[in-house]
Parts: sequence; structure tokens; C-alpha cells
Amino acid sequence: MLPSSSESNLSLRDVVKSYAMGTETVHALNGVSLDIVKNEYVAIMGPSGSGKSTLMNIIGCLDVPTSGSYTLEGVPVAKMTESQLAEIRNRRIGFVFQTFNLLPRANIFHNVELPMVYGGVPRAERRARAERALETVGLADRMKHKPNQLSGGQRQRVAIARALVFNPSIILADEPTGNLDTKTGDGIMAMLDDLHAAGQTIILVTHEEYIAEHAKRTVRLRDGLIESDVATMRDACPLILAQAV
Amino acid sequence: MKLALDLGESLQIALSAIRANKARGALTTLGIIIGIVAVVLTMTAVNGLQNRFRESFSSVGTDVIYVSRMPWVVMNDFFLYRNRPNLELREALALEHNLRGRALVNPSLDTRRDVKYRAETMSGVTIIGTTEKQTRMSSAQPQSGRFLMPFDIQYRKNVCVIGTEIRNGVFGTSDPINKSLRIGRTTFRVIGVMEKQGGSFLDGPNFDRQVTIPISSFVKSFGGDHGHQDVNVAVKAPSQESMKDLEFEVIGQMRQIRKLRPTQPDNFSINKLDTLVGTFNNVMGVVLLVGLLVTSISLFVGAIGVMNIMFVSVTERTREIGIRKAIGAKRHSILFQFLFESSAICLLGGTIGIVLACLLTAVINAVLMPASVSVPILILAVVVSIAVGVFAGVAPAYRGATLDPIEALRYE
Repeated sequence: MLPSSSESNLSLRDVVKSYAMGTETVHALNGVSLDIVKNEYVAIMGPSGSGKSTLMNIIGCLDVPTSGSYTLEGVPVAKMTESQLAEIRNRRIGFVFQTFNLLPRANIFHNVELPMVYGGVPRAERRARAERALETVGLADRMKHKPNQLSGGQRQRVAIARALVFNPSIILADEPTGNLDTKTGDGIMAMLDDLHAAGQTIILVTHEEYIAEHAKRTVRLRDGLIESDVATMRDACPLILAQAV
Repeated sequence: MKLALDLGESLQIALSAIRANKARGALTTLGIIIGIVAVVLTMTAVNGLQNRFRESFSSVGTDVIYVSRMPWVVMNDFFLYRNRPNLELREALALEHNLRGRALVNPSLDTRRDVKYRAETMSGVTIIGTTEKQTRMSSAQPQSGRFLMPFDIQYRKNVCVIGTEIRNGVFGTSDPINKSLRIGRTTFRVIGVMEKQGGSFLDGPNFDRQVTIPISSFVKSFGGDHGHQDVNVAVKAPSQESMKDLEFEVIGQMRQIRKLRPTQPDNFSINKLDTLVGTFNNVMGVVLLVGLLVTSISLFVGAIGVMNIMFVSVTERTREIGIRKAIGAKRHSILFQFLFESSAICLLGGTIGIVLACLLTAVINAVLMPASVSVPILILAVVVSIAVGVFAGVAPAYRGATLDPIEALRYE
């Protein structure tokens, strides 16, 4: 394991998640240990049923592990109440979903502002921060538009702006390009690359190899276990080539 | 601070949610509108009846005791009173004699007769035979002419004082003073017209549809002495405070006059306006209670409609709830959001209902009875509609608030 846990931003230890399916117990995660440090760019891959959604839910504090520990920026999350988890999600996690998940009736500005509403940020500050986030994604001129007046790529950029408003510890992007054409998807990936370059920690859940290549590290899951955890091809290739030469 | 922020935000979300489903919101609101109109109108109607009652008895003094054979309001078995002897004029005079110097006693007899002036006839008019002391028992005074004088009674003058409805009905616009009014088969000269006293209340006595004549002339023309007819005796206390003492005094004197033995119960009744008002208020209290019970059923049905729509709303917006939770909404934020929505629907319905009720009250006021929507009723209506909203919203809001964010995000 590359990073030492002392400097890690996020640390999972022997995480097990099991569900009762009728009389049977299904282990979605079967003892996963994972450390991610600040400013890492990690892709989580795996076939369906491998447990990657469950892992993402636990990392995103939408769910808690059945056993094992999860520490986010030194805060043990595994045993938190729902209300505490909501606060963590609010302040520390920035979600970017495949289906964008914007509120359809609210305008762009309100969508971006919403996390700060739940975070109890005063109105004036909300306005300033939402505007700044929208400027970052290049949509400051669309604030009064409704999501259905925007293209898919623009909607995903709004979602990124919403994820960014609180300067989260991690951006958790679940198939962020899944509903976009390749060209638009590339634009979104470029934006995530830029965010990484600016110092953000990004976790990317995907099943597309070429998307995963944007990350610097790829974690592959199979049957609830980590199958491999390696530096990504694009970075590794020159190394292998160099060795070959 | 943080909660206040939540409240403001919840209110905005609630209003936009209602705007988003206008037709549905309007139909749901209709249930609440009907409920609130029903409740407000019930309260207003009872209020109006009370006003009408007060108005029609306003001229009757509250410091007067009425002695008669029957109680005004027969609460118990009527047969208990049936065999009581009539109050005789002789007994009334004896009471007057015994109470002389301590209280004013005024006997009166009444009957119904047709009254006629030239071609105009009014049938079934109440004819009161009484004395000049009548004007001291009630606040009503003649608006023109004069009331009875002692010599009218002493010399059995065939004179009469008429109420405003008699004047309008029989004399029209002409001046009735000194005109001859036929009452039954006797002719009486009109000497005065009483001021208006507020009409009748639910078939109760109508003081404006009366003809007052000297009690002596009454006996001469219509009989009524020797116990053939029941006499009403009004006894006026020197002050409001002495009412209770006077009541015992009157009971004692009457028992003495009737030579009742201590074991015998009273065979006459003491009536006071207070008892009448008290009884009336009790009855109106029951009417109000039953009315509110019945009308609140319609409000309850309205509330069920709101609850139903809120469940639909929560289900429809499952994904929205998931998104909100994912970006940090806590349970109470979601709970407040939906409680606000249902309260806003109900408050909207309540406000429209209040406006409608006010309009209907104006109509009632114009055609039926004096009614007005009072401020406490309005405040109550607003509070009730918010309460109904909270009541109707709790279960759906709780369901929304406790949704699992992962399930909610996956919901299509």
C-alpha cells in the first residue's frame, strides 16, 4: 500500500457491508481496506455486483459499514448518527452523479446554493460563494436558468459547481460521463483534471477504462474485495516502456 | 438562527411546490376552504343569534323579577306546572300592598285580539293590560304621544299605546294619535306610540307588535279577573344588588298570600331576565358545540384530502428528497419542508375560506339577522387552518424525512 495512513485523507479498515436478502445474508463488501491521501485522483472500477456502488455509498457517508472502520480527515465516521452523517456529506463530500441530480424546479443558482442553505450559511455569503463556484465551471451567466434549459454537459458542470461550494475533502464522481456523449464527457473529465491539478481529492467511480485513465491510481473491485490497486496505465506505461528499453 | 434559515427556506420551497401543481393544489385547498367556511359560519351564526336575542330583550330591565304561574323556560316536566292555579289580579294587588315602599309592583294581563282601523286589520295582536308603572319596568318609552297615566287606570279609560309595527301596519303614514282603534269589539283611542324595541326573536315576544291598555279597561273589555286569566306581575328591585333579597321576599309574600304550608312547594314561578339569558346561553353553547362538531367533520375530510396529496407529493419527490439528503439535508429539514407545504396549503385554503365566510356573513347580515365575523373568530380560523395543515402533514412529512437517501436517489 503506497500512502502511509498517518497522512491519509480517507482511511477504510476491514470494511464489511452485508445486507439481509430474505433468509440469506449478502456481503456486498467483504473486508475492504483502502487509504486515499490528499490530492489523490483515484478511479474505482469493477463489474456490476463487485461492490463498487456500496463502497461509494460508504465513502460518501450515505451508508455506514456493518463492521470495520472508516476515518475521514481523522474523524471516525462508521458509528455516526444520521444527522452527523448529513453534516459530513454537507461539508466534506461533493457528489457528482451520473444523472446530474439537480432539482428540476429550482434555478441553477439555487441548486448550487442549496448545500449552503442546509449548512446554515448566511444569505449574502451563499450568494458570493455560489457565484464563485459557477464562475469556476464557466456558467455564471446561466444562474437564472432552470436545469432543463441547459445541455447535459452544462448540467454536469452545475453539479460540479454544487459539489465545490463548500471546498469538500473529496469529490465523489459516480460515472460522471455516463449520460454524456464522448466529446462532452471529455470536457467534464478535463474539468475534473483541472480540479485535481488545483489540489482537490477526486474519487471516480466508473467502468470505462478510458475514463479511469484520467486518474492516477486505479482500484479494482471484485466480489466485495479489492482485486488490484495500482498506478494508472497512462502513468505506468512510460515506466514499463522504459524498463523494456 | 440556523432554524430560522431553515424555516424561511422551507416556506419558499413550499410555495414553489404549490405553484408547480396549481390544479391539484386548488382542488386540495377547496376541501379546506369548505371546512373553514363551515366552521366560521357556524360561529358567526351563533354569534348572530346571540346578538339578535340581546337586541330583542334589550328594553327589559335586568333588575325586574317576574312572578307568574309558569316558568319562562320549562326545563322539567310540564305536568309539574299544569295544575298550578292562575295568578289572580287580587293576589297581585295583595303583593303590591305587602311590598309597598320596598319595591315597585306592576301587574299585567295579556290576550290576543284583532285590531282594526278603518279598512286595515291586524290579526292576533298581543293586547297588554297594565298600569303606568310599565314604563319603569322597561327602558322603552313612547316616541310620540304619552304612555298610560294613573287616571287612565283609575277611570278605566279606553285608551291605548301602540307599538311601531301596529302603527305601520294599521295607520301607515298617517298620525295615529287620537285615532280610534278597534280592539276586539271595543274602541280605544290611541294616545301614544312606543319606540322601536327590536322585533321578535325566534317567535319570542315581539314588543313592537303590542297594544298596551289600562289593566282596568282590559278587565272591563276582555275579562281576566277572578282568576279566569293568568296575571303576570313584574317586581322592580330598588337596586341591582337587592335582587337576591327581593326574590326571597317575593317568594315569602306569595306563599303567604296563597297560604301555602311549609311542606308545600311553590305553586308559582319567579322569572328573571338573567335566567332567560343564562338558559339561552346554555342552549347556544350546545348549539355551538354541536355545530362545530358537525362542521369540523368537513374540515377533517379536507385535512384527509391534504394528507393524501402530501403522500403523493412525498412519493413524487422521492428523488428530490434523495438529492437533498445527499447534499446535507437533515431529517428535520425535510420534515419542515413538507410540514410547511401542507400548512401553506391549509393556510391558503383558510384565508380564502375566511374571505368567503366574510362575504356570506355580509349576505346573512343583510337578509337574516345581525351577524358579524369577530376578530377572535378570524384568529381562531387562521390558527385552526395551520393546525389542520400540521396535522395533515405530519405523517407524509415523517415518511419523507425518514427515507433512506440511497433508496431515494435510486428512485425513478
